[in-house]
Amino acid sequence: MTKPKVASDWLAGCAGCHMSFLDMDERIIELTKLVDLRSTPITDLKEPDASGVDVGILEGGIANTHNEEVALRMRERCKILVALGDCAVFGGVPAMRNFPGADAALKRAYIETESTDDSGMIPNDPELSTPVHVRPVSDVVKVDVFLPGCAPSADAIFYVLSELAQGRMPKVEGEFNNWH
Amino acid sequence: MIQLTVNGQPVEVETGSTILDAIRIAGFNVPTLCYHPKLVPYGSCRLCLVEVEGARTLQPSCVVPAANGMVVHTDTDRTKSSRKFILSMIFSERNHFCMYCQDTDGDCDLQQAAYAENMTHWPITPAYKPFIVDASHPDFILDNNRCILCRRCVRACTELVGNATLGFEERGSGSLLIADNNVPLGESTCISCGNCVQFCPTGALFDRRSAYQGRETDLTHVNSVCMDCSLGCERVVKTRDNRLVRIDGNPDAGFNESLLCYDGRYKPVAENRKRITSPMVRRNGQLESITWDEALSAISVQFKAHDSKEISAHISPRQPIEALSAFHEFFADHFQVGQVTLLGHDQTARTSAKLAAEIGAFESGLSALKDCDAAIILGTDMVKDHQVAGFFLKRQAMHDLKMFIANSTHTKVGDWSSNKLEYIGSDYAAVVDLLRSFAHKEEADLSAQLQNLGLNPERAEKVLGNLKENQKLVIVVGNEFTKAENLPAFRSLVLLAREIGAKVVTLKGKGNNFAGALFGYEMDAQAKSAPVFFLALGDGHACDHTRDALAGSEFKIVQASYESAFTEMADIVLPCTIWDEQAGYYLNSDGRLGLNQQAVQAADGNRSVLDVLKVLASKSGLTLSETWRTTVEEKVATIVLS
Repeated sequence: MTKPKVASDWLAGCAGCHMSFLDMDERIIELTKLVDLRSTPITDLKEPDASGVDVGILEGGIANTHNEEVALRMRERCKILVALGDCAVFGGVPAMRNFPGADAALKRAYIETESTDDSGMIPNDPELSTPVHVRPVSDVVKVDVFLPGCAPSADAIFYVLSELAQGRMPKVEGEFNNWH
Repeated sequence: MIQLTVNGQPVEVETGSTILDAIRIAGFNVPTLCYHPKLVPYGSCRLCLVEVEGARTLQPSCVVPAANGMVVHTDTDRTKSSRKFILSMIFSERNHFCMYCQDTDGDCDLQQAAYAENMTHWPITPAYKPFIVDASHPDFILDNNRCILCRRCVRACTELVGNATLGFEERGSGSLLIADNNVPLGESTCISCGNCVQFCPTGALFDRRSAYQGRETDLTHVNSVCMDCSLGCERVVKTRDNRLVRIDGNPDAGFNESLLCYDGRYKPVAENRKRITSPMVRRNGQLESITWDEALSAISVQFKAHDSKEISAHISPRQPIEALSAFHEFFADHFQVGQVTLLGHDQTARTSAKLAAEIGAFESGLSALKDCDAAIILGTDMVKDHQVAGFFLKRQAMHDLKMFIANSTHTKVGDWSSNKLEYIGSDYAAVVDLLRSFAHKEEADLSAQLQNLGLNPERAEKVLGNLKENQKLVIVVGNEFTKAENLPAFRSLVLLAREIGAKVVTLKGKGNNFAGALFGYEMDAQAKSAPVFFLALGDGHACDHTRDALAGSEFKIVQASYESAFTEMADIVLPCTIWDEQAGYYLNSDGRLGLNQQAVQAADGNRSVLDVLKVLASKSGLTLSETWRTTVEEKVATIVLS
């Protein structure tokens, strides 16, 4: 039996969920016996195989047009999509921006900050993605497994991935369901 | 009794019970948010919906009365999906993102409810509408964004505390929790008791000082009694890493029903006086650090160098019974020094003990205040002192409790009652005569007495007209009324109360005043300057008169936790543990002994009053007895009715 292929990517998050993934320590070796770990933001291969993977993992919320593209690409290329962490599941910390709105948040960050001088300006390079209303991943694409937490514990991540690797749908409950 | 079936199990409940009561008695549970066992059910959150056979819709079990023959189901597909739907609606309505709320993991009922339904997310996109945050209050913050509109705070503020500061404006999803007619909380009629914060199921009302200081499960909980006043409210002292984080009312408390006042909840945590860290002696006009051995030897030398009558000793009622007992035994019994007093001006405990010795036990317990049909309040402001006892009257005042209030200044305790008669003045003898006249109408010229006290005859008739017919009349007396010179009026009042079947409750001032009276301390005594003045202040305060007496003394020994005008002029300063660094008993107004548990370890260098007394006693070849409990229990029985 071939090992299921797993790919991950991150959107508007802090990378903390991927750090929590690494926090499973030596169990990563155990995990690599079960799965074929393909692209991740913290390894050399950055994009999921065009031929598709079995499990796709997304950390972070949808905060700009680039996040939307990455989420759509992952959804197209994976069979089961995991929303990893509070930002992917709920919108998380980036979603705080929705209360004042993106324009007010950018103005505060790039123009009004105490350390900014008169030359402050909001970046407007055409190659930059455009901020959007921050949403959870499930508002843009269908999500199959929700693993909330800020960050989800290494135990919870290991549990979810090892269940998926063995062809079972994980039940995120009890100590593994922790919204922080 | 009512018989019904819950999840197939027959259950019998009292008439008037709700379906929720029946569910819990049957051993099942449904989650609740707006429901609180100490509040009148409100039925706003709908989380407790259950299926009742024959009913068209799901029924909110917390408000629907149980009826004979009902068949109730709590865990059907319909109830489960409705619970998830309701929680999704609540989560999406405002800012209920757990990751940046201070009220997380075990502290938030909303989060717990979601976990109980195994929800990993909510399927409805939040509204992201910002609501007002009111951070104007020094002790807690009101964040409307975290509010689920359950109104537990409003109900606690009104039903339990009788203050009715909190309320709502606007309707539906735009509802806003406000103070008074929408003024900032810090400028409102709020009395800073913090009970709303304790009753809030989410992070909408949260404590400023303990915010983000750790989850409930990270804190060490120590069950204790409040020792600020003589009510002895039960509270839970919460610490982390040997640091006081927060104080809450004990949810299982008897008398105080989990309620606390500002003095019990916030004052100890807001303490910011500067601690004394080492024993000090005055040399060349300056205080210098010395060792404990040096300090205690210097004190012994002074004791030996003076005739015992030249020593005067004074202790704060904030000290535990063990210390008061030892202090009295050491200074009054063994040394028979010139003066041994308990600091403070409240003579209630001593006067009522004196009266009881003369006419027998007459006091009723404080719980008489919770359920009365008329209240006579003499010489005490229950909004400023003994506040929790005041809550019990204030909340009944809202239901137009008959109240007669006599005090030298206006007190707000009866402000909600339209059946209130208030006398502002100090002629308590005339007040008691008036009450006697109302009880014996045919014998007295009421109108002259009323005129003399400046009281409206119609209103007086309405409140006091049928004094004898009241079934649950309670008479509360406090420090203004119980001064030694009012003893004849006090005696007359108690005899009248016996005659008409009224209950008498006395409020005995600060901390261990009652125990102090039982040990025979001089109370409200004018402390006199002396060649040696020993002041066991602890973490308490003392009045200007005591300060002047200390200033006029030759050798000044001050045992204190904090720097103050007293320590500034002392010849020897002994650093003292504070309330949460020492364990000890407190005797409340009812004669109930409560243990103030030690919650944190004092820094090296601090010693309790009791520990210092033990060393001083052993230096004098004495061993202090530990028999205070028997003394206290025997004496209490002669004063408070069992």
